[in-house]
Amino acid sequence: MIIELGHYALVLALGVSILQAIMPVFGAARADRALMEIGTVAAKATFLLVALSFGVLTYAHVTSDFSVQNVWENSHSQIPLIYKFSGVWGNHEGSMLLWMLILTFFSALVAVFGDNLPDTLKANVLAVQAWIASAFSLFILLTSNPFNRLVDVPGEGRDLNPVLQDIGLAIHPPLLYLGYVGFSVCFSFAVAALIEGRIDAAWARWVRPWTLAAWTCLTAGIAMGSYWAYYELGWGGWWFWDPVENASFIPWLAGTALLHSALVMEKREALKIWTVLLAILTFSMSLLGTFLVRSGVLTSVHAFATDPTRGVFILVILILFIGGAFSLFAFRAAHLKAGGLFAPISREGALVLNNLILTTAAATVLTGTLYPLVLEALTGAKISVGAPFFNMTFGLLMLPLLLAVPFGPLLAWKRGDLLGAGQRLFAAVAIGLAAGCAIYYAQHGGPIMALAGLVLGAYMIAGSLTELFLRSGIGKVAGSVALRRLAGLPRSVFGTALAHIGLGVTLIGIVAVTAFETEHIVEMKPGMTTDAGGYTLRFDGLRDGKGPNYTEQSGHFTVMRAGVIVTEMWSSKRLYTARRMPTTEAGIKTFGSSQLYVSLGDGMADGGVVVRIWWKPMILCIWGGALVMMMGGAVSLSDRRLRIGAPSRAKKQKRPVLEPAQ
Amino acid sequence: MLFWILVATLTAAVAAVLLLPLLRAAAGAEAPQSHDVEVYRDQLEELMRDEKNGLISGENAEFARAEVARRLLAATDAVKAAGPVQPARRSNRLAQIAIVLVLPAIGLCLYLRTGNPDLPDAPLAARLANPGDDINFLIARAEQQLVANPEDGAGWDVLAPIYYRSGRIEDAAAAFRNALRILGPTPARLGGYAESLIALSGGLITNEAQEALRKSLTIEPNDPRAQFYLALALKQEGKAPEALAAFQEIVKASPADAPWLPLVNEHIASLKADGAAASGEQAGTALGNPTADDVAAAQTMNAGDRNTMIEGMVASLAEKLKNDPKNFDGWMRIIRSYSVLGQKDKAAEALKQGLSAFPAEGEQGKQLLALAGELGLTADGGVK
Repeated sequence: MIIELGHYALVLALGVSILQAIMPVFGAARADRALMEIGTVAAKATFLLVALSFGVLTYAHVTSDFSVQNVWENSHSQIPLIYKFSGVWGNHEGSMLLWMLILTFFSALVAVFGDNLPDTLKANVLAVQAWIASAFSLFILLTSNPFNRLVDVPGEGRDLNPVLQDIGLAIHPPLLYLGYVGFSVCFSFAVAALIEGRIDAAWARWVRPWTLAAWTCLTAGIAMGSYWAYYELGWGGWWFWDPVENASFIPWLAGTALLHSALVMEKREALKIWTVLLAILTFSMSLLGTFLVRSGVLTSVHAFATDPTRGVFILVILILFIGGAFSLFAFRAAHLKAGGLFAPISREGALVLNNLILTTAAATVLTGTLYPLVLEALTGAKISVGAPFFNMTFGLLMLPLLLAVPFGPLLAWKRGDLLGAGQRLFAAVAIGLAAGCAIYYAQHGGPIMALAGLVLGAYMIAGSLTELFLRSGIGKVAGSVALRRLAGLPRSVFGTALAHIGLGVTLIGIVAVTAFETEHIVEMKPGMTTDAGGYTLRFDGLRDGKGPNYTEQSGHFTVMRAGVIVTEMWSSKRLYTARRMPTTEAGIKTFGSSQLYVSLGDGMADGGVVVRIWWKPMILCIWGGALVMMMGGAVSLSDRRLRIGAPSRAKKQKRPVLEPAQ
Repeated sequence: MLFWILVATLTAAVAAVLLLPLLRAAAGAEAPQSHDVEVYRDQLEELMRDEKNGLISGENAEFARAEVARRLLAATDAVKAAGPVQPARRSNRLAQIAIVLVLPAIGLCLYLRTGNPDLPDAPLAARLANPGDDINFLIARAEQQLVANPEDGAGWDVLAPIYYRSGRIEDAAAAFRNALRILGPTPARLGGYAESLIALSGGLITNEAQEALRKSLTIEPNDPRAQFYLALALKQEGKAPEALAAFQEIVKASPADAPWLPLVNEHIASLKADGAAASGEQAGTALGNPTADDVAAAQTMNAGDRNTMIEGMVASLAEKLKNDPKNFDGWMRIIRSYSVLGQKDKAAEALKQGLSAFPAEGEQGKQLLALAGELGLTADGGVK
């Protein structure tokens, strides 16, 4: 009965969404507050209903209720509890329900925290959110119902896909969805503005926190996914330009552009129309990503099921929303008032450059991802667009952007002084050169491009710090004053600096690991040794083990440096019994920011085993940088002025929340 | 009943919540432009604070102030031009009706289409506490006990043949192996272990299986099952004369009414026929039998490839039988193959078709039935 109640709650959520999709729009058009108010109430109700439904599905998974088809297909009574939880979204149906949960969660947030929005804007935003929610709950109920039941109840489940049985999977999809779906709020704000035909003065202020939150989560989700692929798939790579990875990377690029253009719009009322377009574009890319991953167009670990009706259904949703939003944009954009003017060399100009490059980059990745699909659909020819294409095009596009990053925050609004900014960055360039060379020599040798890359990374870090130094006046005013000023800087300044520093750290990691990594594929017998990254690994032999739902064979390695034992590591191959599916559990040891990565291959007839050993210098910088970027996002989000966003409605109250923000 | 009460309550509660705003006295919305005025005022204040804290230079602050002030003036004008918004005095009757109708309509229509209101929950713990005679649960329960106490040999002993019968061959092999390790070898365990290995390799009697069978014969030299499989192994390896001798040995040692005799005789007959034919391989290939080369190839393949190869051969045999149902050996082979592959329903289906070609009253029909009996099949499509 509990299961069926969860099912009914989902159906009811669709009903409420449909009402929420229609009534507030009429309310806004007729200036009828009662009708508009329905949007607020309905958004909260939908969230509670979907949460109830999601809770019931989780309950079914945790109690191993195999009368639910979804549980039978993706769970097992013996797997650890955490994978019973994560198994809820480790499959197509459950992950779509998670998508819905997050979508309605964001709608409810807008409903709860949107008291200071103009009534009509709030009503329209919530209605647009409800359009999306209606479409997706219909999709779930008609093509991917997680509450399908089995009359003849099986005794045991078919187990969760073994590569998904990992702590990384428990975190990666929810974070990614928080990012994807977070952009739906920006989309809804954009469409609402287009419906009204006017953009509020505070539009950018309201949109920016959502963009920031979504962007931060998406950054975390992508980094998490990349790290998960790195340690779980056993190939030692951290980014494959796999279409599914690209599907999450394209919205990230567009979202990063949106974040920056919203900044211009907030401060200077410029780039209004462009920002609206970007907001639509970003969420469209999120939808496209969902389509690519969910439709089975791409076969990968993410395409849980390949069912053509689902693909067609999502394609229809995609066309309706993206096509509809762009048509609306085409009709209304001309009516929107364009914003303030600025000189080409100014903060705005730098941000426009950022936007141009990021959107071009997003388009490049999109082309590289879709071209093989389109070609195959039209001509049947199978081609693969691989890393060389992306490295060449994307890498070259990024170069000027990375060079320009430290300049942006140093330029003044409206009209800036490039030469002045350049002079101020002189120290950063010098530090970058010195640090880049230092890392280069520490790693011994490597291509000359690597040196340039390392210098660029170090320069970005130093350049971002320059901004903080200059604004606080360190060196010019007395130390205590400078410190006070530094503490008094708006949080968003720290956020900017942190995000840019993170980018530099990631760049250094990418360059170092690409240029200096070493790979050894050797057949080892117990007692044999191999050198990697200045360490010596001795293979000590294999051992059989058994987990709750798998058996494994682990190789033991002793790591030595100059003959002295430093540490030991295990690397194993697992066989998951229910699905008869093997996985590799790579052995990874961290030394500073570098890692030793050992992956077991096939055993040989003579008792040896093929072992792949990588030395990955500074690889942790890649994800460490992403962490720093996320911190930047979070710090920016905590900026008080942003949080308040708009003035409070009651004029008599002398804004108690607005005590000096700094 | 409780379920429908809960459904009704939930629907009514949601409808009531949605109706609340409509029942309140309608207040007019304010002009959206008035918000802009607020925003610009706020920006001016922020500017002043920044200037006071030294975050922005006096000159820049002046520029910015002028710009914001211009926008503020424009927005104030717009508010004045828009005038006060008239509160809507229209009735919301239509919206109220829509809420009251739409929710139950959508809820019930869609739910009744996709839901199973009568199906009770079935959490595993509750089912394990009260398993009834459900074989799935007997297995699940025994498994849970074995997870807690993996050295319980008797548990493995019970579970192993159940696994084998329910098609979980790999688990059966592991269970037999555990029982052998803990309780020591008996012909029953060794034979069962060998049979699971044979089923795993798709009917091929592997070296490991032969080893277990030989060990079984050292304990019980007259075990017909072990003798049979070892003879079959010889046949599979292409050693026809040795295989023939071994099968004839079994016939000699068996009582005249032994249930396995028809099957053994069938092999003897086919071996003799092969021997009589000019080329043994031809007869074999005609029936979709693996040739010696195939077998050699199969031994170097991994389990997946091997199964694919065997399934391919079975499929081609099925095709041949469709065109020529008067092929007695073909029916015998395909029934056995299907049941080795764990496809009991297909085996039963093949038995039915075989019996229609060779009626049960005839000698060959009887042999088919004997084989079915040995494999646990019944002609009416079920499994014994």
